[in-house]
Amino acid sequence: MTAMRTVRTLALLLPLLLLPATAARAGDGVLAATLDNGLRVLLLEDHRSPIVSFQVWYRVGSRNEARGATGIAHLLEHMMFKGTPAHGPRQFARIVEQNGGHDNAFTSQDVTAYYVDIAADRIDLVLELEADRMHNLLLDPKDIDSERQVVIEERRTRTEDDPGGFLGEEVGSIAFKAHPYGYPIIGWVEDLKRITPAEIRAFYRAYYVPNNAIVVAVGDFHAPELLEKITRRFGPIPRGPAPPPVLAVEPPQNGERRVVVRKQAQLPIVYLAWHAPNQRSADAPALEVLSTVLSGGRASRLYRHLIYERQLALEAGGDYNYFSLDPNLFWFWATPMPGKTPEELERALLAEMDRLKTEPVRDEELDRAKNQTEASFVFQADSVHRRASLLARFELIGDHALMDSFVGRIRTVTAADLMRVARTWFPPDRKTVGVLLPTP
Amino acid sequence: MEAMPTNRFLVLPLLLTLAAPAAAAPVARREVLPNGIVLLVAERPAIPIVAVRVLTRAGAAFDPSGRAGLATLTGAVLTRGTAKRTGPELDAAIEFVGGSLEAGAGRDNLSVSLRVLKKDLGLGLDLLAEVLLTPAFSQDEVARKVAEIKAGIKRSEEDPATVASRALARLVWPGHPYGLPVEGTLESMDRLTRDDVVGFWRAHARPDTTVVAVVGQVTVDEARREVLARLGGWRRPAAAPGRVPAAHPAPAPREETVARELTQATIMLGRQAIRQTDPDYFPLVVASYVLGGGSTSRLYTRVRDEAGLAYSIYSFVSPSRYGASFVAAAQTRTAEVPRVLGMVRDELGRMGREPVTARELDLAKAYLIGSFPLRLDTSGKVADFAAAVEELGLGLDYADRYRARIARVTAADVQRVAQKYFAPGTLDRVVVGRVP
Repeated sequence: MTAMRTVRTLALLLPLLLLPATAARAGDGVLAATLDNGLRVLLLEDHRSPIVSFQVWYRVGSRNEARGATGIAHLLEHMMFKGTPAHGPRQFARIVEQNGGHDNAFTSQDVTAYYVDIAADRIDLVLELEADRMHNLLLDPKDIDSERQVVIEERRTRTEDDPGGFLGEEVGSIAFKAHPYGYPIIGWVEDLKRITPAEIRAFYRAYYVPNNAIVVAVGDFHAPELLEKITRRFGPIPRGPAPPPVLAVEPPQNGERRVVVRKQAQLPIVYLAWHAPNQRSADAPALEVLSTVLSGGRASRLYRHLIYERQLALEAGGDYNYFSLDPNLFWFWATPMPGKTPEELERALLAEMDRLKTEPVRDEELDRAKNQTEASFVFQADSVHRRASLLARFELIGDHALMDSFVGRIRTVTAADLMRVARTWFPPDRKTVGVLLPTP
Repeated sequence: MEAMPTNRFLVLPLLLTLAAPAAAAPVARREVLPNGIVLLVAERPAIPIVAVRVLTRAGAAFDPSGRAGLATLTGAVLTRGTAKRTGPELDAAIEFVGGSLEAGAGRDNLSVSLRVLKKDLGLGLDLLAEVLLTPAFSQDEVARKVAEIKAGIKRSEEDPATVASRALARLVWPGHPYGLPVEGTLESMDRLTRDDVVGFWRAHARPDTTVVAVVGQVTVDEARREVLARLGGWRRPAAAPGRVPAAHPAPAPREETVARELTQATIMLGRQAIRQTDPDYFPLVVASYVLGGGSTSRLYTRVRDEAGLAYSIYSFVSPSRYGASFVAAAQTRTAEVPRVLGMVRDELGRMGREPVTARELDLAKAYLIGSFPLRLDTSGKVADFAAAVEELGLGLDYADRYRARIARVTAADVQRVAQKYFAPGTLDRVVVGRVP
């Protein structure tokens, strides 16, 4: 209670002293500033609809967790909706709903992000709520106990009772032996049951500090005026110690790793993964294009060859996480058609990878992948929510302005680059394979 | 592993007709083309993209007896080849410009969605028109899709929420097409032939039951010219459009348990309800919101927030063209099924026993009225909304009427409709999970 009142008083008395240390509007129209307490602020005006997407991204995810306390970042995310002394339990959701807004949050390996999409004239409320829970969360032990049960239910839905989620967790955990990317984001159930309120409080204190957060807003507002309001609300929150860096580095994979799980299911699933570098590598744009060539749409190779022509797979897809803070996985998944075996499907997936190493990708495929990437940027610009998320993603990897050069980086990729990265990053003896075999 | 975000809430299907825009202007310009197509255009000039939605009244509600899944099969094969291009050629053409062209059937309609950059609108509409006017429905592609849909049905048996929804529909809609799965069954799929597909498309896809919504960086004149040039020659057949039989509920509520080796049980309760043409629809929407609509609802508060018994718990009203349903659902660990069922029934009953508080009523109304601008914030969402409102016959001013109707709802109205539609003794019930 006291803490919150202090913040409010300061805000009223000292607005002029709390102006950001630096503020600049870049060529892309983004007003970027860093407050004295380290909070990074990115604001972009978009006056097409009378709405705003206001997002707070904390640089903390399952990547920052310790063995024995997996799932703590996500459990804390749930607790962020359980109130502060100034805004009691359920108040946050009630205030947002009362004002016609949508709010939610997500936890990933790298970040925990909160968003409210709401009528632009209600922005003051959101600022008040977000600034309050950045620093004054209640974390009542009774609420923690009931919410850990909710998260365990969530885990049942996503993992225990979902064959794809179940296998994915096994594959992730054998692909990494040193880096926390091997932990499930939702956490091992043993850890979820054990984590103490004191640990959650310490985690909150360590990572929920303004110097570890990015505030992004896109929508119908006047950016300098909103920056002033943000400064008034968030400026008084004290800077915290720099959160501990993640020191773990995944060593090279020495040999194939494989996991086979048996579970009640209707069809098998095959996962295939290789370690791959992130955007800091010169190979990243080519890997991004390669991922699209393989699995971006119905003209992509996996759909065309495995689903359409050979009718081997019911579904097949893949992904590469360009934005990952540490090197992560380039991975594929597929479900065989009834009557086809996981072995056949695995061989077919590997054959697609081998072909990339020996045959140049045709110009048409290369151009299509680049056009798809470029167009997806334009489509995303239609939504203020997506625009804000994209700004945050680029800021997380260093600078929101990297967004401007992203498409250019993709455009320079050649067929020779694709062949080179396929040879470099997909050696057959360094893959991780997961197979789910259905039991009746 | 890819960082799969774990959201705090499950994302519920967007109920387009739940809400209404804040602006008084109609959401789109409407005109009827000479062949009967209703053209809706909304100009959103800022971003160089265009979204097109075509809804034609050829949904699963029109599947002939014993041929469940025919609309789904027809929709699936629609983009798999035309008189001019094969399926892979269509895919390559649209994806080369970073666009998408998708078709699929729902309960009432078959929809075709196009998304392109503005510069590629001509190409996109060419492909869309080819698909609508000259689908090839080749034998080979039909066989391929039958196999895929069957495999998809098999796969979906792994998802307890899908299994429960399917079972509940069967109980809620006895003898009505809404009781059958949109995707058909393994048995019905085996019976479907190319002739069925061709016959279904010829009978049900017609300009006079088709809505085309064009939204984005496009003017009304341009949209009319481009659509007329390509779809103006689509001729309406002489025969009358298809009809769907009236729905009658079963004489008494029924229960079904589907055994699955799972750690969690999925509970679904449901019954037939009313759609937007009934004045009681609006109090029902408010009632359902208070009961299980958001994260301040009674069910969410009691079952999830206070008792920690569920991650997913909600209720909703689902209006379609030929009927509506009300559903309340929860997922909880096997051992707690009786307790959660008890709580849900208790809250259903309480909605009818006592009036909702002024605070609850105000919150629900404020949310339902106030959240609308968020539902119209992209070209795709505007196109979906305009097409749905037109197809459901609600009028493009429905948004304003909706707001006014919601604003008038009283606590007494809510209690009255809750007594009728939430009475626990009138709801069908499905449980998927381990049988005790």
